[in-house]
Amino acid sequence: MEAMVEERFGAGYLEERKLVKRWAGPIPAIVALVFTLAIFYVTWWIFQDPRGMMRMYTPYVGYMYTRWWLIVLIWMVYIFNYWPFKRKWLETTHPVIKGTVLTAVSVGILYVLIKGFFEGLLGNFGLAYFNPGQLTKLPGITEFFAIEYAALACLMFAALASWLSPAWIVACEEAPWQDLKQPSKGVSILIVTFFLSTLIYFMTMHSHMGILYYPWQYFTSIAPPYWEKFANTVSGNFHVSWIMCCTVSVWLVETIWERYPFNLIKRDGLRRVVAFFGIIVIAFAMHFFLYFAQELTWGEAIRGTRRDAAPDWRWLHVGEMAVFFLVPALFITFYCDNWPRKYSMPVNVLIRTGITIVAAVALYVFYYKTSHLFLGTQKGFSHPQQFPMIPTIWLINVWLAHHWFMDNWPGWKMVPKTAEEIAEDHAAHQAKIDEVKWNPTLGWGLGTGALAGVALYFITVWLLPVVSQSVTIIK
Amino acid sequence: MTDDKSTMNRREFLKGAAMGVGAGAVGAMLVYSYSPWRTRLFPEVKRKLADIGTCKSITITNISETSWFENADLMGDIKGAGGLLVNQYDYNWPPFGDGAGLGKGSYEKGIAKIKHLLPDRIDEAWAITEKLSVHPENAGGYACLIELEELDGTKHKYLLDTGWSYKWTDECFKREGIDKMLQNDEIEALFISHEHFDHFWGLPVTFKYNPKITMYIPDGFYPEGLQYIKDSGHKGKLVKVKPGLMKQIPGMASFVFAIPIICRVYGEQSLYFNIKDKGLVSVTGCCHQSIIQFAETAYKEIKYENDNLYGVYGGLHISPFEDWDPKYDDLVISLGKYGFEKVGCNHCTGIVCAKKFIAAGYPIVKGTARYRSKDIAYLGNGDKISFGV
Repeated sequence: MEAMVEERFGAGYLEERKLVKRWAGPIPAIVALVFTLAIFYVTWWIFQDPRGMMRMYTPYVGYMYTRWWLIVLIWMVYIFNYWPFKRKWLETTHPVIKGTVLTAVSVGILYVLIKGFFEGLLGNFGLAYFNPGQLTKLPGITEFFAIEYAALACLMFAALASWLSPAWIVACEEAPWQDLKQPSKGVSILIVTFFLSTLIYFMTMHSHMGILYYPWQYFTSIAPPYWEKFANTVSGNFHVSWIMCCTVSVWLVETIWERYPFNLIKRDGLRRVVAFFGIIVIAFAMHFFLYFAQELTWGEAIRGTRRDAAPDWRWLHVGEMAVFFLVPALFITFYCDNWPRKYSMPVNVLIRTGITIVAAVALYVFYYKTSHLFLGTQKGFSHPQQFPMIPTIWLINVWLAHHWFMDNWPGWKMVPKTAEEIAEDHAAHQAKIDEVKWNPTLGWGLGTGALAGVALYFITVWLLPVVSQSVTIIK
Repeated sequence: MTDDKSTMNRREFLKGAAMGVGAGAVGAMLVYSYSPWRTRLFPEVKRKLADIGTCKSITITNISETSWFENADLMGDIKGAGGLLVNQYDYNWPPFGDGAGLGKGSYEKGIAKIKHLLPDRIDEAWAITEKLSVHPENAGGYACLIELEELDGTKHKYLLDTGWSYKWTDECFKREGIDKMLQNDEIEALFISHEHFDHFWGLPVTFKYNPKITMYIPDGFYPEGLQYIKDSGHKGKLVKVKPGLMKQIPGMASFVFAIPIICRVYGEQSLYFNIKDKGLVSVTGCCHQSIIQFAETAYKEIKYENDNLYGVYGGLHISPFEDWDPKYDDLVISLGKYGFEKVGCNHCTGIVCAKKFIAAGYPIVKGTARYRSKDIAYLGNGDKISFGV
């Protein structure tokens, strides 16, 4: 009698698939880059480009859909493990069909979420500012800004969800629902991350929306917001900044860091708590440093100014800069098999981080030097309606769909790993973790490295004004 | 054996060092980057104190501040065409309408319909474009006349911007006598603040009365804008002002900011006037760089009377579409500390913002709300403001 095989949907699918290169060397990665950039550009032209077909880059409408699409992809793959698609279908369907079907489903969910949940439910029965129709009832507000403001509220919510949704998987390791079947597990994690997003939304973004209207909504929000003195602005961009850094930190930890250094903690509960808050600490370090980097480059921020001297724009730009780090990090993981792998885990992570930083800086310079020539945007750092997060996250979304839904086709072929191969992978990964053990030599290295890290920081701080004085990115 | 041990030690040391580098760098980033100690590393701000001289007084006549008449129509067009990043020449607004519909226009197709009529037959040109454009009745424009008196009594007149609608701009020029001043060569130069439709597209109206007028534009005009200057029949000197300070006459200078602006425009030129014994007056078209940035730039760049920021005139680009953003509150909250004594704002400042300024107790000069200006909260069409008189 044949034993009943339990349906796992996509649980563990990403780690249990073997992506076999179709060609040797860097050719698959190059093919993947060309292929995904082509998809990026075609879809950019169709949906976003201000010269293109749908012109959703208004900017907030396009931005909102970009951010929420990212989250829907995360929900489908990380939280729901591809449910309700069956494992056999995932393993045997041609990547192009699979990619088309799953992407179509993600877009359907996206549409229902925006139109049904935010605009329809929340906007009509809760907070008016989520619904453009409700906003146009206010005196003096034009339809354009009603739509933009509602989109802004939705995308501020998205910023939180894009951090918390993956954080519950990456840091909290799905606890305490890791043993549940789908969709129970997915629903549980979705509800808790959505609840947390709502809670933090009220504490970080609602006051921004409350003073978006005249007069300030003193009775419904804290006005002026509590962060005014510390952040030197009443704008919620202060929070957008650190929350974006959280999103980026989560994915750095998940991809090029392989959950290091938190995976060195043996006790499950402690590891999960430290990882969750550690990601926030790393994000705040990034948040403060990238703001400081702008002060060193462009001078002290002046409250009340506009563009690159304004604190609100600089906080926003911190988030924008942070996303530039995510692009090369994902490329290294998705298409370069997380190179290098031959050293110890800390050394591998350090090398990948170094490559990511250099590539991110190069991408940043390239973007500001050239993007206005092909994205339909405009040259300059601080156009108030221009967000580099839109094209960068759009590209990331294309990569996620390509890597998660299409198994890197056509450069790679997906073959399910055997049970032995999975066991070997786990053992090898555990060995890498176990290899990092305390001993006096490691201690000396740690101390020396810490000093070197501090020195590196101050060298960077010293170099930034010097380099910015001698390099002109935008002529 | 010893080699193995040394390899092992080196490997362990490197492992530790790799861990330490990350920890040290992240720790320093977290502790130092937003601490009060960081301010010691800020680039030092040195005041250049450029001498632009002084003048006795200036008087500004608001020829038109109503760039468009219905926000809903303008924003409806912007929404329909694809938002605030769409190239302004693509909207199919007048005078570049070609009948193809919203968001499907181009400079080349639009100008081809009217080029042969410019600059002398602007009435006919406008009649044609009215039929081919989107919302031609909504077009107004921004322009003002600046009359400067030097210390020795010599007087100068300048135009800042030249409106949008040929019909409306011509009507306003006639109402304020600008047409005659241009014909009589009394106006020495036309300063264009930036390439936006409502400040620049009424160009043939100025050239109809004086095609030889000297023109100053900020560096950063797109090819369509430069071509439009030629196609409008300009025969005078064209000066492209580079980013930074440009002295004009004693007591007057322009300053160009290299900044990106909505609807695909780049760069803005604003004017400084140093009034004897009073202080600095800032005159702007839209002031996309922000009035506080303009004031801070003055502090860094030029020397002015009593180190005093005396007055402001023009659009302050805060709430041009009666929209709002908390960052605008940063400006409203911060403006007070700059101590301006006389603020004559209008146009893209926004009525909501003017009301917030008044509520904050700032010295706003109110207007008369004539000639289609909508509110007395700021200086309207036909109103005048003087500094140093």
